[in-house]
Amino acid sequence: MDAVELINISKSFGPIQAVSDCSFNVGSGEVLSLLGPSGCGKTTILRMIAGFEVPTSGRILIAGQDMVGRRPYERNIGIVFQDYALFPHLTVEQNVGYGLRYHGAPSAEAHARVSEMLQLVQLEHLRARRPGQLSGGQQQRVALARALATRPDVVLLDEPLSALDAKLRLELRAELKEVLARVRAAVIVVTHDQEEAMSLGDRVVVMNAGRLEQIGAPMAVYAAPATRFVAEFVGRSNWFSGTLSDATGGKASIVCAEGISVAAGTRGLTTGTQHEICIRPERLAVHREPPATAPGRVAFAARVIESMHLGPDLSIVAMMPSGKRLLVIEKNVGQFLIPPGTDVILSFDAADAIVIPSAPTAAS
Amino acid sequence: MKRLSDDLMSILVRILIGACFFFLLAPLAIAVVMSFDARPYLAAFPPPSLSWRWYDEFFSSDYYLKGLWLSILVSGLSTAIAMVSGVSMAVLVDRTYFPGRSLIVSLFMAPLVIPGVVIGFALLLFLSKIGIYDGFWRLMAGHILVAMPYTFRTTLVGLASIPRSYAEAAMSLGANERQVFWTVTLPLAKTGITAGAIFAFAFSLDDASLSMFLSDPKSYTLPVAMLSMMRADFNLTIAAAAVVLLALTVIIIILLDLTVGLERVLGQGLYRG
Repeated sequence: MDAVELINISKSFGPIQAVSDCSFNVGSGEVLSLLGPSGCGKTTILRMIAGFEVPTSGRILIAGQDMVGRRPYERNIGIVFQDYALFPHLTVEQNVGYGLRYHGAPSAEAHARVSEMLQLVQLEHLRARRPGQLSGGQQQRVALARALATRPDVVLLDEPLSALDAKLRLELRAELKEVLARVRAAVIVVTHDQEEAMSLGDRVVVMNAGRLEQIGAPMAVYAAPATRFVAEFVGRSNWFSGTLSDATGGKASIVCAEGISVAAGTRGLTTGTQHEICIRPERLAVHREPPATAPGRVAFAARVIESMHLGPDLSIVAMMPSGKRLLVIEKNVGQFLIPPGTDVILSFDAADAIVIPSAPTAAS
Repeated sequence: MKRLSDDLMSILVRILIGACFFFLLAPLAIAVVMSFDARPYLAAFPPPSLSWRWYDEFFSSDYYLKGLWLSILVSGLSTAIAMVSGVSMAVLVDRTYFPGRSLIVSLFMAPLVIPGVVIGFALLLFLSKIGIYDGFWRLMAGHILVAMPYTFRTTLVGLASIPRSYAEAAMSLGANERQVFWTVTLPLAKTGITAGAIFAFAFSLDDASLSMFLSDPKSYTLPVAMLSMMRADFNLTIAAAAVVLLALTVIIIILLDLTVGLERVLGQGLYRG
């Protein structure tokens, strides 16, 4: 039995369809990232699981029980809000212990549980402080401790790290992952940050315009995006579009306008259909010298028009004779930065090409 | 050049603030000093010698004492009632969204902008019509009516400043609506509620225009007593009465500010952002 189960959930606010027919489930101990741009409906899904919004249709099960008509306090949940929502008039200790009195814990037990939680987030020394006297990172940890204290079936985190500055966010992300790994609850993290989603989640759900685009393990979503939207939202990408050549021989290739052709597997691809080819920037190689031809390697000429040092990486933008611009990310291994204006050869392994059927333009 | 204009501006502002303080405090100071005038007749400021004679007169006058007692009673009771009803109304309005919500809010604020004499006269006619002739209850009705906008408004502002996520967080932790109200909403709106109560009490204690219409010979407040004494027998007992009224207001404000003020000190950084 899954801890959380969403079955055909839809939600509309007046004429606006915020969530359309979403189904997924999360097991106990699993961390699921709900990833998408702002306004994609991910927060609405979180609020429906919490009971702050009522689905227009569909069912939500928590620990096997139907949640329809149940108030938030009748569900066994814990939430970390984007603004943390710590009670400013209570101390850290009182904040963490707030939910325990409503869960019928005797005071001695509640006290022990508060200490346990504060230990978990390493804030025991600040138990008498008020939220206003804490740093952003400390507030985030108190919010997490408070949400976990009541042993919820589901823990919902709404953009848990977005209020922190970049450096602290990385630190807390690692810490959060560690704490969440010890939690037996089903955890759902809502975020618009793909790195956060991929690093925290055991599985990632990518959403767009109220619909689920793809569900899968982080690496699967990155390496094999189901749609162009997913490929573009998760990581960076270069695109070619082309037509599938004769697929009958079992060895079809996609021929692009730029004179490139990529061998494609034939998983039911139809001859003559349009396809998009996505190449991740780190899978493109820049050759300062013409490379020796290798089987399965696609090479073509381009001219560097921009190159930047990013520290661990080099970012190069090159333009093909057709005018198409491509982004290349190279690991910094001490090589020279190629000056703009240099003619180079770009290449990629055909196996690294991600082939996605073009969305029918007439319908979209 | 910039520096010079800045300096000039700051001097000007200081003069303005000084002037405000002067015109606010000087008349008060004169009234206080005059209330200690030893001369048995009304004469020019400053008094040549000081005494407690007008205070003796005030505290031995049944007429004034009755007014003082009723003032305290009416102000205290009407503030308490206005607080409970104003807070309940504000909570209700804050929680629910319905068409005409802003109309209701403005309607509640109406007693603040309608002149006291108009309310007093209208209320007098209305209360007679429904059979309330007793001065005390008429005063209570009028004072509650005018005090409520203060408590309502400040509570509404206090409630609006509480992020919705606080109540949601409390609910997710197992508290029902009533428990959320007592443990989160009310403690956080306390400053606004207290501010409203201070305004309501200060208004009620001070009001003369409304109370004049609603008083009767047996039930009248201190300001009404002062006004009628001013007509009948103008002497410095009125100054003493004014000082008593002033002292009462100051004491109440200090008391209330002490309770809320202390709370604010304890909750450092309570109202960030």
